Amino acid sequence: MLETLHNLAVGFSVALSPSVLLYAFVGCVIGTLVGVLPGVGPLAGISLLLPATFGMDATRAIVMLAGIYYGAMYGGSTTSILMRIPGEAASVMTCIDGYAMARKGRAGAALAIAAVGSYVAGTVSVVGLMLLAPPLAAFALRFGPPEYFALLLFGLLVLAYMSAGSMVKSLAMAVLGLLLGMVGIDQMSGYFRFAYGVVELGDGLGVVPVAVGLFGLAEILATAGQAVQPKVIEPKLRELLPSRAEWREAAGPIGRGTVLGFLVGIIPGSAHIISSFVSYALEKKLSRRPQEFGHGAVAGVAGPESANNAATSGAFVPMLALGVPSGPIPAVMLAAMMVHGVSPGPLLIRQQPELFWGFVASMYVGNLVLLILNLPLVGIFVNLLRVPYPYLYPAILTFSILGVYAVNGSVVDVWIMLGMGVLGYVLRKLSFETAPIVLGVVLAPMIELALRQSLAMSDGHYGIFFQRPIAATLLVVGLGMMLLSLRTFIRRGLDWRARMALAEKGES
Amino acid sequence: MAAALRFVLLAVLGVLVASSLAGAQDAFPSRPITIVAPFPPGGVADLTARPVAAAMEKVLKSPVGVVNKTGAAGAVGMQSVAVAKPDGYTLLLALSSISIIPEADKIFDRKPAFTVDQFAPIALISADPTVLVVPADKPWKSARDFIEDAKNRPGQISFSSSGIYGTLHMAMELLSHGAGIKLRHVPHAGAGPALTAILGGHVDALASGPAVVLPHIKAGKLRALAGWGDKRVAALPDVPTFKELGYPDAEFYIWAGLFAPKATPEGVLTRLRSAVRDAVNDPDFKAAMDKLETPIAFKQGEEFQRFFDADARRLADGVRKVGRIAP
Amino acid sequence: MPSASSGSHKAGRTLTVDRVAGGGLAVFAVFVLWQSRALPLGSLANPGPAYMPMALATLLLAAGLAIAILGRDTPGVGSLGFGEWRHAVAIFGACAFAALGLERLGYRLTIFLALLFLLGVVERKRPVVGVVFAVGFAAGTYFLFDTLLRVQLPRGPFGL
Repeated sequence: MLETLHNLAVGFSVALSPSVLLYAFVGCVIGTLVGVLPGVGPLAGISLLLPATFGMDATRAIVMLAGIYYGAMYGGSTTSILMRIPGEAASVMTCIDGYAMARKGRAGAALAIAAVGSYVAGTVSVVGLMLLAPPLAAFALRFGPPEYFALLLFGLLVLAYMSAGSMVKSLAMAVLGLLLGMVGIDQMSGYFRFAYGVVELGDGLGVVPVAVGLFGLAEILATAGQAVQPKVIEPKLRELLPSRAEWREAAGPIGRGTVLGFLVGIIPGSAHIISSFVSYALEKKLSRRPQEFGHGAVAGVAGPESANNAATSGAFVPMLALGVPSGPIPAVMLAAMMVHGVSPGPLLIRQQPELFWGFVASMYVGNLVLLILNLPLVGIFVNLLRVPYPYLYPAILTFSILGVYAVNGSVVDVWIMLGMGVLGYVLRKLSFETAPIVLGVVLAPMIELALRQSLAMSDGHYGIFFQRPIAATLLVVGLGMMLLSLRTFIRRGLDWRARMALAEKGES
Repeated sequence: MAAALRFVLLAVLGVLVASSLAGAQDAFPSRPITIVAPFPPGGVADLTARPVAAAMEKVLKSPVGVVNKTGAAGAVGMQSVAVAKPDGYTLLLALSSISIIPEADKIFDRKPAFTVDQFAPIALISADPTVLVVPADKPWKSARDFIEDAKNRPGQISFSSSGIYGTLHMAMELLSHGAGIKLRHVPHAGAGPALTAILGGHVDALASGPAVVLPHIKAGKLRALAGWGDKRVAALPDVPTFKELGYPDAEFYIWAGLFAPKATPEGVLTRLRSAVRDAVNDPDFKAAMDKLETPIAFKQGEEFQRFFDADARRLADGVRKVGRIAP
Repeated sequence: MPSASSGSHKAGRTLTVDRVAGGGLAVFAVFVLWQSRALPLGSLANPGPAYMPMALATLLLAAGLAIAILGRDTPGVGSLGFGEWRHAVAIFGACAFAALGLERLGYRLTIFLALLFLLGVVERKRPVVGVVFAVGFAAGTYFLFDTLLRVQLPRGPFGL
């Protein structure tokens, strides 16, 4: 413990030196900007600035890139809440209740809760990173294909809890999303599936065009032509910050989201979006007023936002403790380290304590900087809502198209966004939820690959899932939860029939 | 309405007039050059492309930028350069997979996304032989142990790769065919996950570029058994090559080379070639590659063509032998 | 549950919202099943590339049919408010134009024209306002991305 504090002191001395502080600040600002722009996410931001870091020394470079990463997570919630467009893929869940809160005039509250939740999550998970990095990383490495499959299956079951309306409809949307996720090269056999000769579809539809299209474009298509523009209640200055009741409501979800997000984040290969979906479902399950979800529940913003920020710090655990790339963004950061002559690996913490501890300390600082940056900006951002919609939505459209195009320089992505926009518009009219589609698109390739990899590992025997302790535990817990929810479903069904019988008796 | 239309037309005209039209072309290069890296940032292609671009910028005194165009294991970026304007302003930094992808397309009866003869090679920049690594807690102490065991237990030893028909997979396949063994392939979605899998002990072996696994070998988590190169890897002097061990077919390099569209004029190509030659000798470039622990293996002209053809032939053969994996 | 629309009560009974939706999903599922037949199926122990798509498509088919069958009591299709469809089509048209023109006409010109269309024709704002907005946005976003963030945006024939 004493050693940790000593190291932390060393780290802070590095992190608070003016030049490092400056780079952290620059990274945070760029990250926020990148996060606010729809479609362009932290990966794009980091890749753009990677070459600019070549001249700097390793610590500064890593600190700046990390700042972009978690800054983007802060910024992503802004467009989600204000315009129902995910700033980056992981913010999709915030769109649902965040925007609903904005419509009720609580945009400032939503933004503030998102900012504070992100701060708490970021800071607490950095503590986790600091104290528990090596053992957590070793645990995370034990997640092989069978464990992934069990975990992702678990994530799918979570969809059952997300249904605001009919369960069958949510299931259908989830399956539709899973099917859309099947487009692309099959990693196990090399076949191109449903790509019809378009090479750009080789990696699938892509979660960014799908999310921006289904949420952003569909929203615009549905509301732009309305005779009566949806009245966004303009908040008064007093009402800009959350009320005491709202803070109380947010506390629990922030805590739970942090732990959940951190745990999901340390598993290499898990996408941040999973942490926010699971957090949303968890909060809904635990809430005393689940019917509020989808209409502006505070927990629906606090939980997912904290979760995806905590996942960001979690992703650093395998990266720093073991030199293992836990996803595309840590992979870029590992490359940045290599370029600067720092060889990432299990000995990094021991060999480069200034880098590790400086990095950890800069994350504390960075999170604080972002909180200070974002809270006053709440007032400015909320004023964006005052812009008349006929001017606002062309601007949003421009940014959406630009953002989606900029990710990979591909017009095919823009077309996918347009297609998904039309799909989202139609589905809204037919009263279907579109969030499960995004989760499906993300999960489908991962879950199929994990299943077939597991079978390749075991030469076709399904027993492998039960021979490995982590996978078996997850499957059993998941099945248990499914049976429990089935029980409530059946009970609800019986109730429904009893009510129908009563109603008929009453009518006759 | 008519007034509005006039306004709009005037505005459009105004914008067009105001925009500066491109001047007459003089010496090459007169515009920024773009090097397309067909892989995501942080990968081998990207990390090689950026120092090259920086060094070439110094030599050509004209901006040279790197653009990542990812997708389909590199096919998207490669295809985009194959059909780009052959004026020398769009170049490709390709990895050895450039020879694999068209072959893979052929065995699936697909129209190839591009073909190798749509490119004019400029120079080879680096060529890393892959090395065979196993978790340190496995019993195999040498490549011979490994191959012996594989012969005794066909299809039981698993290995991860960055994807089917990818570079790491093809390396293993060349070994399997050369040594007459059968291994179990567990494809992963990229080199990162493949490395994670072996570090977690979920697979038994991996063919990997040396730079990425060196820290783990030094930390004692992985053991290198042999290399696919012509010579031993400089950072791993005790690791023999498969050639030394008697398997000359097992030769595989993850190489990075600069290409241009085929129809690029000869004068431009010569200029580019000399620029790359100078760039490779730039001390900053050398320092950058040193940091990446990637040896520079510069080849040009005839030499590169021969290397490229031999490599392409080897890989095409390998892909054909693998054929379609029938489930 | 009393039905909402009395006028189209009889006519709307056959074509309810859920029936259309469920039917649409079912048709899509069949389409996927049809397209998957070209891929090898494999077995349970060694699933091929067609396995999961077919399994999912079957599930979707079942779900779609369930929605359609259970969707007797939902309002008729006629009651759906599609009033803004003209607007939506125009917006979509502008976006499609943008997608088509992005690499052919260059970023700035395409966005300028698209915004001009949206503001001038669709929203019927004053032309001066439209032009200023369109020019400002096209140039401004280009500057933001191309110059500041150094993301290469396509330039068209006029250097725009």
